[in-house]
Amino acid sequence: MILTLILLGALVAVLLLGLARAFRSPKGPAAGSLAWSVESVSRAHVEFLPQIRQALARQDDEFLSRAGANLLRKRVKKERRRVALAYLKALRADFEGLLRMAKIIAALSPKLRVGHEVERVRLTVTFLWRYRLAQLSLYVGQGSLEKMAALSNFMSGFSVRLEAGLKAMGERAALAAEMISPSDRSGIHLT
Amino acid sequence: MSGLPALVRWLWGISTAAQTVLCVVLLARGNFRKIPIFTAYVAANLCQAILIFMVYKGIAFRPQSAIPLAWSSQACIQLLRAAATTEALRQILKPFQGIWGLGWRTLAVAFGVIFLVAVFDSGRNISWAVLLMDRGFHLAFAIALVACLLLVHYYSVPIPSAYKALLGGFCFYSCAVVLANTLGGVLFLRRDANFQALWQLVTMCPFIAVLLVWAVALRKPLPDALPGAQVQDPKGVYWEISPQINERLRLLNEQLNRLWKPEVSRH
Repeated sequence: MILTLILLGALVAVLLLGLARAFRSPKGPAAGSLAWSVESVSRAHVEFLPQIRQALARQDDEFLSRAGANLLRKRVKKERRRVALAYLKALRADFEGLLRMAKIIAALSPKLRVGHEVERVRLTVTFLWRYRLAQLSLYVGQGSLEKMAALSNFMSGFSVRLEAGLKAMGERAALAAEMISPSDRSGIHLT
Repeated sequence: MSGLPALVRWLWGISTAAQTVLCVVLLARGNFRKIPIFTAYVAANLCQAILIFMVYKGIAFRPQSAIPLAWSSQACIQLLRAAATTEALRQILKPFQGIWGLGWRTLAVAFGVIFLVAVFDSGRNISWAVLLMDRGFHLAFAIALVACLLLVHYYSVPIPSAYKALLGGFCFYSCAVVLANTLGGVLFLRRDANFQALWQLVTMCPFIAVLLVWAVALRKPLPDALPGAQVQDPKGVYWEISPQINERLRLLNEQLNRLWKPEVSRH
């Protein structure tokens, strides 16, 4: 019985923590707010990809190795890792921004498909887990920069599609708002 | 009634007074129109307290019927509590029909599954059945409520502070009852003389605190539905985009998976 009390006590503590988390003010734009900014999607870090690629080119490392400038090579490697980590962090910020937009679309929809939403949560959890692993692999020096470039290209494509969807939704929402405006209420009911 | 310690009797009095105050606040501020089931829940609690007082005093019914009467009236209260919680969540999610659809399903499934487990568990020992079922109900209720609120938070739906107080109060009280019933069980098994008084104390103190928080939160009229969320997506952009987003996210995950894995070969 004492064990039950301890276990339930721990469960209650977890529940109260969950409650506190649920009551925290949500980050970013509130659901249903049409004041979202498509620019925030466009302002993705993928636009810095050419500079990052140049900075992380393998040829430089090989050249320094051949030239025997080991001290400089080490310094360059360290700097590159720092840049790669910052870039990975920025990609995560892009991912979160896009996800936030996806949530806004869901919030405005009158009906959600449970499967889609559950799948998105699962994908988000997986992304975060893999992000940590990618971060770790960069720390230990195993990250592939070419793959990071592929990841960036991918983010870019995703952003373009989502932007188009948001634009379409914005136009429809604006049209609906116009329809219910005081100047034109000639028997139109949206609800 | 006289068998109970003075402190417990005092707490009963304070609890009844707090419930009366809350009823008055709900009626005076007009909030009973927005949350009628919650108002019914508070009124039912008050009626239950009066009924049990009458039973203990011998004014109505026989004293032997006190326990069955208390527990059966408690079942009605529990149902009203669940309905009042659903009502509050419905008020918050009124402008978000899609999330509400997802929310009530989460609430129902989480509650149903956990409560069924609790019912099966309590069935093994008849003498403990009522206590364990009550604990199971509160546990299932708290888990389902937190799950639903986390879902609301996931979609960045802002919750007005008055509703936070209502839902937080329900959750906090349920957590307190879970611990109180377990502690009560421990004391009963140890044949502690103060078992009943302690159990009453641990159950009633959080309830009084919750009643006071509710009374403070409801002293102002409850806010209306969120502005800016009224315009819904009429043509189903969600249905077009959602699968694409998920597909992109899935592929993105694959890319990220390849990123952290060490390279096998290099051309």
